[in-house]
Amino acid sequence: MSLAPSPEKVPSASVQSRRGITRRQALAAALATGVGVGAVRLLGGSMQSLATPRAGSGTDWVSPLGSESARVMQLLRRTSFGYTPVQLESALSDGFNKTVDRLIETNPVEPPTLGAAATPGGRFAVGQIQQWWLDHILTTAAPFAERMTLFWHGHFTSDYRKVADDTFIYWQNLTWRRMSMTNLRSMLMQVTTDPAMLRYLDLATSTGQSPNENYSRELMELFTMGPDNYTEDDVRESAKALAGWQLPQPDSNATVTVANGVTRNLPVYSTQRPGVFNTRRAFKGNVTYLGKTGPLDTQGVIDRILAQPATAAFIAGKVAQHFVTAQPDAGYVKTLADTFRRSNYDMKTLMRAVLTSPEFSSAQSYRTLVKSPTDFMVHAARALGSTNLSKVIAAAGSGMGQTLFDPPDVSGWPNNEAWISSNTVVERVNFVTAALSQVKSALPSASDAPRRQLDGVLSPQTASLLNQALDDRARWFITLASPEFQLK
Amino acid sequence: MTKAINMAFPYRASAQIGINQLKRRDFLRAGLVFGAGATGLAAGYAAVPDAFARAVYAAKLEGLTNDNILVMIQLAGGNDGLRTVVPLADPSLHDLRPKLSGPMVSQALPLNDQFGLNHNLGAIKGLWDKGKVAIVQGVGYPNPTFSHFESIRIWETGDPTRRQVDGWLGRTLASAYDSNGHPLTGCACGATDVPGALRDLQATLTVIQDQKTFGFTGGSEVEAAVGALYKGTPGIYGALFDTAIATATETMATLRTSAASYQPMAAYTDKVQLVYSSKNQLAAALQLAAELIVTGTGVKLLHVTLGGFDTHYTELNRHDDLMGYLDSAVGAFYQDLAAHGMSDKVLIATWSEFGRRPKENASGGTDHGAAAPLLLIGDPVKGGLYGEAPSLTSLDATGNLKYAVDFRSVYQEILGGHLGADSSKILGASFDSVPFLKAPVSATV
Repeated sequence: MSLAPSPEKVPSASVQSRRGITRRQALAAALATGVGVGAVRLLGGSMQSLATPRAGSGTDWVSPLGSESARVMQLLRRTSFGYTPVQLESALSDGFNKTVDRLIETNPVEPPTLGAAATPGGRFAVGQIQQWWLDHILTTAAPFAERMTLFWHGHFTSDYRKVADDTFIYWQNLTWRRMSMTNLRSMLMQVTTDPAMLRYLDLATSTGQSPNENYSRELMELFTMGPDNYTEDDVRESAKALAGWQLPQPDSNATVTVANGVTRNLPVYSTQRPGVFNTRRAFKGNVTYLGKTGPLDTQGVIDRILAQPATAAFIAGKVAQHFVTAQPDAGYVKTLADTFRRSNYDMKTLMRAVLTSPEFSSAQSYRTLVKSPTDFMVHAARALGSTNLSKVIAAAGSGMGQTLFDPPDVSGWPNNEAWISSNTVVERVNFVTAALSQVKSALPSASDAPRRQLDGVLSPQTASLLNQALDDRARWFITLASPEFQLK
Repeated sequence: MTKAINMAFPYRASAQIGINQLKRRDFLRAGLVFGAGATGLAAGYAAVPDAFARAVYAAKLEGLTNDNILVMIQLAGGNDGLRTVVPLADPSLHDLRPKLSGPMVSQALPLNDQFGLNHNLGAIKGLWDKGKVAIVQGVGYPNPTFSHFESIRIWETGDPTRRQVDGWLGRTLASAYDSNGHPLTGCACGATDVPGALRDLQATLTVIQDQKTFGFTGGSEVEAAVGALYKGTPGIYGALFDTAIATATETMATLRTSAASYQPMAAYTDKVQLVYSSKNQLAAALQLAAELIVTGTGVKLLHVTLGGFDTHYTELNRHDDLMGYLDSAVGAFYQDLAAHGMSDKVLIATWSEFGRRPKENASGGTDHGAAAPLLLIGDPVKGGLYGEAPSLTSLDATGNLKYAVDFRSVYQEILGGHLGADSSKILGASFDSVPFLKAPVSATV
């Protein structure tokens, strides 16, 4: 199976210009497009028809998902940060089901060791770790693992500012990747004892005598059960039960001059390790937690959380919202949650159920998700066949609302319409301009871009502007800056 | 141009997931196709200003007749009220906070013999001395939630029952201002997304993270192309995208003029690394707010945020730093407005999702709490202490401070007394009066 053959060259209008479309052309395009004309479906069609868009039946996008190639493209957009031409060809020849199998069964690929992580106290610029991760996302053979790592980074979130040790942040990224498609029970223990998390939500300084509630609360509210499924007493009681974890002991300490002759004694770790449990700081006695009373340790807290039906529903709902549609149907979420719980919280089972569900590929789900800034920028880089954009991507995220390792708060990043504001759309357009200026020599042909990147489903405006664009640079600009490309 | 619309949007709102409103947006989008005129403001996003052809702003709608401006400062994370307005004479403070209470009492800037401001709030204390600061103590709401996100939503929507999804300022914009013709009427400065308080599907909002970088690289050609690209975009996000681009384009044009005519009359400074999570450059955001105000861009409701108040650990220095940061930014902002002769129009108000637990924890910090004081600053304010400071000995069942003033009483005074809006319509009810304004413009209670 493959896409339709390349269309003929688009006839270009009037004067050639290296600078792409002119203001006059843009104005003409704006005027030329009628009011209320629906989306145009072009899959398998020719670029010629772009000039005379076929009116759709309404103001929604016309779903192309009846075609397997469109389903494969959507699958890769939602699970793999888009695709390079080679990745797309490979997935198209495998077909949808085999591609799902490959996504689920491919093990995560470890990124190369980050040299800076050996810096005492993890005092190195966060830009280094951002770029290191983006380089791996852009080049890995297992992009789904990176997509899941980003999902968990937004879920079990930590920010480098409060953690104040970028080595711990680096370790967290490695841990989240390794556990990304495993089992929620073991994941929650790794999350609880992760050094960056111990610091971010203050469990490292909590004691049984005077518990800090921060981790206890967010473990239930944001990580597992969701609000309204536990009481304030549960927050207090599990804070007692969880107390006792501390940061791991370093191998040595190094005296480092930080600034203006000020020296600090900073920890040095030769290998990654989790937090350690100090029984002397733990709570001794019974706690009453989620309806049961008795002695309780960290594993006990996790198991009691997993015994609550709310947990599977919360995780399944969030996954559906991130991968399927902004407002998943309650019945759909329940089906996924039941599957997840029956599998003893196996992430592969959940993700397979999500990706193979009719809802995932239904016409109603088409373009109902807004690409996160990282999704958008990485997909643009893949489309342009560029792997040297990690620095630009790392810097551009903040204006769009997503700085890796620096979520806005403990609930991670919001999604969909929260990605759309006057500030973020300008930044998205500016990224396209910046990315195109980085790819000076070998810009790939854009003649296929509307169908390969936008499924051939274009608004009349996008179609019209593409048809008037004078060169590939302008066509790529319109393709990547278009509203269509912001969606997945 | 009447067309068949696919109104069968299949997703039901699910209580546990998000607060999206796709159904409603679909409805509003339908307004676009069937004609915006008939339903007026109800057409919402439909009435997007044309970035190319629009010649003049429409006149402001009837209703609000004054030129007053509101600046809300969110202290995100839960600001410790006891370290902001410090009880000086309560012996139980030391018992609750053996590690945190000492310096905060001895260094506080006394307001009277009972209360003092945090020692880093020197500029605000200076404004207090001139009668330009009202402090409402013990602000909260019944049955408080200790979840950041639930409580933020309650404060943003003005609805403790959590049914309302639009922000209280968004509803004000939608009902009282022609924000479609004035994209800067509601503006979030220093942010990348729309703050919940300003959110309303029927209000056009501008978000500017940093004025220096707010513009299209590539200039007018890119601007024109993008303006053409984002028109009549289909799908559930289409109107949002189109509005965002149109609003951005309008705002850029306005900022080009305002930046040229604005000279700051105060020193705004933002330390780059303050404390964890304080990524917000408050002073820069307030300077942008000042520019928008003094150059007559038509701004009415502005929102800025300072984060980092979730002080679960080593609170002592962190909170003091945050207070100092807030103080220098607000001090410069007021000075700038006053030098431009605009301070009589502007009310500055702080808000935070909750205060903090009176009893400190093992980490030298405090956990999530309840009632806390709010600061109202500016020439329109009648300085003094309002409300009632919560007792440190009569705590609620969760060990937290009991509230005395419903936060909507403060909103009511802001809406009715400062903006001249119909507060009972916006808030859905009337609340006890907190008369902290010198000359309230209306008595809509």
